[in-house]
Amino acid sequence: MSKQLAFYFNSSACTDCKACMAACKDKNDLPVGINWRRVIKYGGGHWLPYHRNKDMWVPSNVFNYAISVACMHCQSPLCVEVCPAGGISKREDGVVLIDQDACIGCRYCEWACPYGAPQFDEEAGVMTKCTLCSDLLDKGQNPACVDACVMRALDFGDLDELRAKYGDVDAIEPLPRANITEPSIVITPHRDAEMSGSGTGRIISMPEEV
Amino acid sequence: MSENNFLNKALDNTVLNRRSFLKWSGALGGTAVLAGGMSYGFKAVEAAREAASTEEKWVAAACWHNCGGRCLLKAQVVDGVVTRVKTDDTHPDSPDYPQQRGCVRGRSQRMQVFAADRLKYPMKRKNWEPGGGRKELRGKDEWVRISWDEALDIIASETKRIAEKYGNESIYAVAPGEIQRTLRLLGGHSTGWGMTSWGTWTDTPKIVGSYTVSYSNTGNDRLRLRKSKLIIMWGANPAVSSNGSPTFNYLQAKNAGAKFIFVDPYYNESAQVLADQWIPIRPATDLAMLLGMAYVMITEDDPVTNPLIDWEFLNKCTVGFDAEHMPEGADPKESFKDYVLGTYDGVPKNPAWAAERCGVPPEQIRQLAIEYAITKPTMVICGGASTRIHRGSSTSQAFITLACMTGNIGIPGAGTGLSCHNRAGNAGPPLVRAGSSSVPGISNPVETRINYNQVWNAVLDGKYIAGKDDTRDINIQMIYHGGYITLNQCTGLTKGIEAHRSVEFVVTQGHFYNTDARYSDVVLPITTQWERYGTFTSGNREALFFSSQVVEPLFETKDDMWVAAELGKRLGLDANEIDPVSIEQQVFNQLAGAKVIMANGVDYEPLVTLTAADIAEMGVEGEPQQGRISYREFKEKGSYQVPRSEGDNFGFTEFEDYRNDPETFARETPSGKIEIHCQTYADTVEGYGFTPKSPIATWDQIEEGIEDTYADWDNKVKGDYPLQLYTIHYKRRSHSILDNVPWLREFFPQEFMMNPIDARARGLRSGDTVQITSRHGTVIRPLYVTERMIPGVTTLGEGAWVEMDEETGVDKAGATNILNGPIATDQGNLGFNSCNVQVKKYDGPIDLKPDVEWPQRIIFKEA
Repeated sequence: MSKQLAFYFNSSACTDCKACMAACKDKNDLPVGINWRRVIKYGGGHWLPYHRNKDMWVPSNVFNYAISVACMHCQSPLCVEVCPAGGISKREDGVVLIDQDACIGCRYCEWACPYGAPQFDEEAGVMTKCTLCSDLLDKGQNPACVDACVMRALDFGDLDELRAKYGDVDAIEPLPRANITEPSIVITPHRDAEMSGSGTGRIISMPEEV
Repeated sequence: MSENNFLNKALDNTVLNRRSFLKWSGALGGTAVLAGGMSYGFKAVEAAREAASTEEKWVAAACWHNCGGRCLLKAQVVDGVVTRVKTDDTHPDSPDYPQQRGCVRGRSQRMQVFAADRLKYPMKRKNWEPGGGRKELRGKDEWVRISWDEALDIIASETKRIAEKYGNESIYAVAPGEIQRTLRLLGGHSTGWGMTSWGTWTDTPKIVGSYTVSYSNTGNDRLRLRKSKLIIMWGANPAVSSNGSPTFNYLQAKNAGAKFIFVDPYYNESAQVLADQWIPIRPATDLAMLLGMAYVMITEDDPVTNPLIDWEFLNKCTVGFDAEHMPEGADPKESFKDYVLGTYDGVPKNPAWAAERCGVPPEQIRQLAIEYAITKPTMVICGGASTRIHRGSSTSQAFITLACMTGNIGIPGAGTGLSCHNRAGNAGPPLVRAGSSSVPGISNPVETRINYNQVWNAVLDGKYIAGKDDTRDINIQMIYHGGYITLNQCTGLTKGIEAHRSVEFVVTQGHFYNTDARYSDVVLPITTQWERYGTFTSGNREALFFSSQVVEPLFETKDDMWVAAELGKRLGLDANEIDPVSIEQQVFNQLAGAKVIMANGVDYEPLVTLTAADIAEMGVEGEPQQGRISYREFKEKGSYQVPRSEGDNFGFTEFEDYRNDPETFARETPSGKIEIHCQTYADTVEGYGFTPKSPIATWDQIEEGIEDTYADWDNKVKGDYPLQLYTIHYKRRSHSILDNVPWLREFFPQEFMMNPIDARARGLRSGDTVQITSRHGTVIRPLYVTERMIPGVTTLGEGAWVEMDEETGVDKAGATNILNGPIATDQGNLGFNSCNVQVKKYDGPIDLKPDVEWPQRIIFKEA
């Protein structure tokens, strides 16, 4: 493949504000219940009693950070592999797209994707997913989420170029390890980030939020 | 959702299972607004959406809410409907000259304006009759759609009747300003007062040493902030309460090398990005910590071997710190130093004493004291939170006292005080500002002002405190609401509902069926800023936003001013006096008077070039003028932002002039200096008539502070309300506004937060419905258990629209003012962050669904 477009995400700058989620919903006309981009909180730690006062406690390794996740436009996308209708494909630029005319609504891709990217539109009976705002890209514009980030924690571009600029981290907790689908993502880890597979924390988002 | 994907881990942590999570889409499909993807829920809009093309026409759209952000919003309009929004792309983005990017709420704005639950038509309560009818049904009655004529006739006749029978003082009206003009011409109205947001920072700096610019706006501008070596964020969370640029600006200070310490009950969203250290503290106890720090500085200071105190600054620029430097006439035994040492009261305010109250270990209090004292420059950034408590006046005073002691004042990168809302981390006079609209004010012949903490009890009991030893009778019989949502947003909401059911007439004008509207007799649908000619948004030091009309008024909505004038006509008043300047002329006047700073950093020049053709197009009177940018460009871009760079002349540091030259820049205090001991301050605070105040910062047991969580303080036996509650700005809303927007309800579930230690002690888990009870009321909410909260402390976002279950008397929405009592103290500020609660698993009859699944409050569908 000549090119692979990818997102960049700086976890150390993310305040969990969800402007990217709203920009995505707005640009892509998504109803409640469908979020092509999600901000997920991860954290952990505990509290120890303070020896001199029974009502006092001190924190021990209390931490949290957020990740903003959309479709990873993977290099080995499982969704493409499992689709019985052949309705998901990679574009020339590496963007993974669903052909909704071909989609039979079997939801295999939803089941296969480790990132929760494909989401079912019950109204239309088809799968939906982040397109990396390919329509905007084709007009020379940026994805809506990238331009929305108040902390400038999101970027996009060619995967190799992003890696050259920001490094090659592609999996921090709570994301799955990258060897499943080879996600096209470059992450600047938060100072307290734990690498995927070796986390001590947990997802701390309310289920209503994810 | 996939069984395999990582998000299932989130669901394992709660009692809610995947099934209930997935039920959303089905449940939501039933409501009008969500059916069929993104449709807004009424026919005209759906049709236009079908027609949406790729043609891009962007209009600068107001984001007019009272949040802490000041950002640029633009709306893409297709056939009279907004199909998409975007934010600032008017210039390339850089840390020195950043785009003013909007937040999650601004991004959701079109879902508010084009909402299925907009108020569409005037309406009256079914069982309303002149005099009130069945008043007890307010909040639960049915509604009848009526014409504007009928609505205005009812309001006019009831207003007249009540004013004649009980006097104009019996009409209570806080907002909007337009209707106040009408009521004032009619003879006046009572109104309310009290600081809701900034705690005691309104009076303190003005009186003890007078900030030069304004009380929400102290410290340094954002470029000078990059000179700070240490930034202590004290009860401040700009990432939530000042969404938009401020946290990005703070990040530049961090990148420039500043260390960030957060003192906060909650490891908050700003700390997540900025913090090098987090010091968890109990709410409403910051003063104890500050006094403990002062003790360390006083007892460990040695001017030669261990200089912790800036004696030169104290002796030259302040009075009242020690017995040798007292203001004239003050008792030398009342010095701050002797109070801290316990010289006369026998109670040294040492770190152990402080720790018992604030919950911070003594060694950590000492560490912060020394680090603050020896690090120059240090900036202490205060949110309003630490003084948004009962009797907060000593807390704001102590912050100023410590800044003086350490000399961290008047030096670029140093300072202390309130730095929040739209000026968070960016102090100094505005670099660009709009002119006056030139609408003359109308004075209020009735001088009655009732403190927000007391107003509902005043309605019910007929008495209020007007000042020291000055309790007065009052007979409120009419409440006119329009914009401040005071029923929902003032303490003592339970009493407020009772008060609303007791008066003869209640009217509300607004956008939605919010708390004010719900408990009214007549409700009027009002246009949003998107449906009006144009407006300006100021408050961002560097940018002025100019927004234009986006769409025609929806349904039968009218402007506030139209209502004021039409009502005036029916009351026999002169409509031209109520509405003397057309909106077009007002906008022109603001454009013509707009000024922008010149490169020298001192002088201002006109911002906007206005040609004869522009004036003709607007249809107004005025003279052409030359400015920095054209009217056309300003209108199209929607903002003008002053470019900034290192070394420009727009820097600002509070007190810099005074520190350098205390004679010339003497303070407006009796001594001409910053008064650590300030009799004027004590007299002013006591003058409000609520509670006593010492001239220095002293620890007093406050209403519903930490001590009140104990039945026996000395033996540390907890009482009936063993937990502290403080309230936070919540990302879903700007105060109460936007609470009803489905996207935002989905993103932010209005969770009640608690530490695992407190949850375990009560057998509670995340996702449980819990019952939170204070001395004043009960709410139920989903529980969110998090290590980010200090044990013993809980929090809930302020501003949710009360949803009272009439059977059980329990509020389902988590409106914090059900829990916050109507307690007037001190400067009359609202003490939201001093409140005691108990929490248990809810075992009542209500099945609490996630907020996003609640039916929208649609009274009438589109006709």
